[in-house]
Amino acid sequence: MTHPHPDTQWPRWEVFKQDGPGKVHQAVGSVHATDADHALYTARSVFARRPSAVSLRAVRAADIHAVTLEELGAGVRLPGEAGEAQPYRVFAKKTHKRSMTFVDELGEVEADSPQAALERAREAFGDGLLVWWVIPVSAFVGTPEDADTVESWFAPAKEKTYKQQSSYGVVGQHISKHKTPRKGGDHE
Amino acid sequence: MTLQMEQIETAEQHAAFNARIARGEKIEPGDWMPAEYRRQLIRMISQHAHSEVVGMLPEGEWITRAPSLRRKLILIAKVQDEAGHGQYLYHAAETLGATREEMLDALLEGRAKYSSIFNYPTQNWADVGMIGWLVDGAAIKNQTMLAGCSYGPYSRAMVRICSEETFHHKQGKEMIVAYAGGTPEQRQMAQDALNRWWWPALMMLGPHDADSPNTGALAGWGIKLKTNDEVRQEFINEHVPELLEAGLTIPDPDLHQDADGNWRHGPINWDEFWAVVKGKQGLNKERLGARRQAHEDGAWVREAMEAYSARQVAQAAD
Repeated sequence: MTHPHPDTQWPRWEVFKQDGPGKVHQAVGSVHATDADHALYTARSVFARRPSAVSLRAVRAADIHAVTLEELGAGVRLPGEAGEAQPYRVFAKKTHKRSMTFVDELGEVEADSPQAALERAREAFGDGLLVWWVIPVSAFVGTPEDADTVESWFAPAKEKTYKQQSSYGVVGQHISKHKTPRKGGDHE
Repeated sequence: MTLQMEQIETAEQHAAFNARIARGEKIEPGDWMPAEYRRQLIRMISQHAHSEVVGMLPEGEWITRAPSLRRKLILIAKVQDEAGHGQYLYHAAETLGATREEMLDALLEGRAKYSSIFNYPTQNWADVGMIGWLVDGAAIKNQTMLAGCSYGPYSRAMVRICSEETFHHKQGKEMIVAYAGGTPEQRQMAQDALNRWWWPALMMLGPHDADSPNTGALAGWGIKLKTNDEVRQEFINEHVPELLEAGLTIPDPDLHQDADGNWRHGPINWDEFWAVVKGKQGLNKERLGARRQAHEDGAWVREAMEAYSARQVAQAAD
């Protein structure tokens, strides 16, 4: 290295986006950030540059307890000591087919350990799902849900119509006009 | 996420994996995958991420010189999108076990490749429009194909990127169509820009299939669903009629339509392509220099973020 190079890695935070009121939060990707506020601001720049968001949540990747169906089959158990019972949010991947998100939120369970939360989740939401994430609710940070915050965080994107491909319409005539085969070189 | 350690791979594992690919299933981070599948994906995705990041440089140069406030807002939004696309892609590569820091180091030290197209200079404002129409148009063709790839995180990043790139493509087309229908000077600017960008846009879709060593393995694993030449043909078929309709002349005397309606291009100067890829021609040194400078100039921001974070933690502990 020829230049000074402090640690640029920072902890990875997984980001969950809610597209509209009443919709579930979906994992959309991750950001690297030093703290919770930094994570949310970066998540907004990366994942909510266009409208269709009313809420963002972030959680440190280290706080996610993940297991695949394959690993469950091999007897893998989630690590973590039993402690006080607390609510966990449950996310799962439902299909092997193409989907815009990895895991979607299914709901919450109350449990005293990640493994117990996973077992509750499998009872509550069905077995056979492909990937499970169980995450303590206390590990999440999120954008406030009051109307003013939603407005100031997400509404401005709606005004920026120049960012939308739909605002450009179809330029020129339909391509079919030019479909007739021609001989070489006469296109000028 | 569970990372598979590199270990002996059995024929049974490979057969099961190939069967999943054949069934059209998406492979996800915790799933078993061949080490070579992982290696190829990290190579492709990080290269793609670097291209998005370096792609900000030729366009960023023009933000201060945009001809109107609207065009300035559009260009700022576009450059911001490229930064976001880099983030989506670095994240996808991280799910395979690569670290952000390793990938950034590889770019800054010149060990990692990025798309050759960003080593061409932007000479005037019409180039900014032509990049939107042709370069983003070619990128969308490639990325639409990759949106169907077998690795879930890469595929999802591509779906998201394509929907945003369509804005880049359409604003570039709108700009060039306006210039091509404008004053003689404006028409000449649009034509000159096409003359500069046509061949680089064809080249950015990669070497001919016969000279593309990784394509076979990538196709077998459902990473690349079309070959370079197939994507290039689709791109040409879509763009030639529209460029002609705008009243522009394609700088290829051999260009013609065959009996099937496909537009056939003349010979491509691959010597130029390889010279640009290897940094013997074009702005490779300048681009990497600018990227390193930005990284170094941003060091105080990273240090400030860390100091702020450390203080928050200390205050919380009090």
